Amino acid sequence: MDPVTIDTTKIRITKRKPETALEKLEDTNLINTLLAAKDREGFILLTTIDQAMNWGRLSSLWPVTSGLACCAIEMMAVSMAHHDIARFGMEVFRASPRQADLMFVAGTVTKRMAPRVKQLYEMMAEPKWVIAVGSCANTGGPYRESYCVLKGVDNIIPVDVYIPGCPPRPEAWLYGIIQLREKIKNEGYGAKWGLNK
Amino acid sequence: MNPAEELKYLLPNSVVSVGIQTNKPLAVIRKEDFLKVAEKVKELGFDSLSVITGVDRVDRIEVIYNLFSYKKKQNLALKVVLDHRSPEVDSVISIWKVADWLERETYDLVGVKFNGHPDLKRILLPEGWIGHPLRKDYDMNTEQFVTIGEDGEDIVSFDGSNLLRRK
Repeated sequence: MDPVTIDTTKIRITKRKPETALEKLEDTNLINTLLAAKDREGFILLTTIDQAMNWGRLSSLWPVTSGLACCAIEMMAVSMAHHDIARFGMEVFRASPRQADLMFVAGTVTKRMAPRVKQLYEMMAEPKWVIAVGSCANTGGPYRESYCVLKGVDNIIPVDVYIPGCPPRPEAWLYGIIQLREKIKNEGYGAKWGLNK
Repeated sequence: MNPAEELKYLLPNSVVSVGIQTNKPLAVIRKEDFLKVAEKVKELGFDSLSVITGVDRVDRIEVIYNLFSYKKKQNLALKVVLDHRSPEVDSVISIWKVADWLERETYDLVGVKFNGHPDLKRILLPEGWIGHPLRKDYDMNTEQFVTIGEDGEDIVSFDGSNLLRRK
């Protein structure tokens, strides 16, 4: 009688496909991770990568130091202690557009200044956002009928948030900044899956 | 006697009329004698030319020179009335050096030609801009843009979409 030899390398362990929800959860091994974390008294934060990046971006928006006209005075007021945009991590006005990711177009954009504003915008690194502040930057404002003022800065660069006013109060600036934060929060796939709530 | 009346007394043929403009003594000068009158005014002690203003009155163009005397602490305004079609007046750059840029600005925005100016070209707007914007008959329908050209110079363009052409 010949001894039966079994080639163990040929045997393949077939895994049963998880069918119920509990089996699926066990299959991902997630439950063990959570239990292990519970043992260590630690916490686990579930998110997507882009939501984590959005959180980082909106929490430290660094504006570029550029003021074109009187709205820049209100920009100084909004950055000072009373209104204090340091609460949003925005107090670091960068003197170089390479280090900034937000531009306030604060004031009248004259035709002579327009190519310079565009150059400043193009020098900023991605990702970048623009807030147009005041009637002049939005539409041309009282100088709309003038020969030397651009009829809205959105003719030359894309604008994310418009703040109306002549000039806007610092409260209006803060509201505009909050709107921009909401916009950044809603970018990417994580927002599509409802993880931005 | 205010400085305008004094000027009228000294040069009765050149000064057309005297009056008051915004609390300053005003003398209206014949444009042919303007350089002579300006020299006389400098002799009277008006050493500072503050500003030159050009005004378009549709049928005529007025150029107003605002002067101040630091010695006498007095103001004086001189006015010349020019033809609307070809506004020309003598340059006072030989009397007040500051008139260089002030006359260039008046030429740029109102289109007054200053005879005898060594470098009469635009100062605020780039070269090639069509029209003088503070004229009443300036064409507001054709929009003009300032563009940075490939060599970094400001040039005029009618296309607002491509403002930056620097390499």
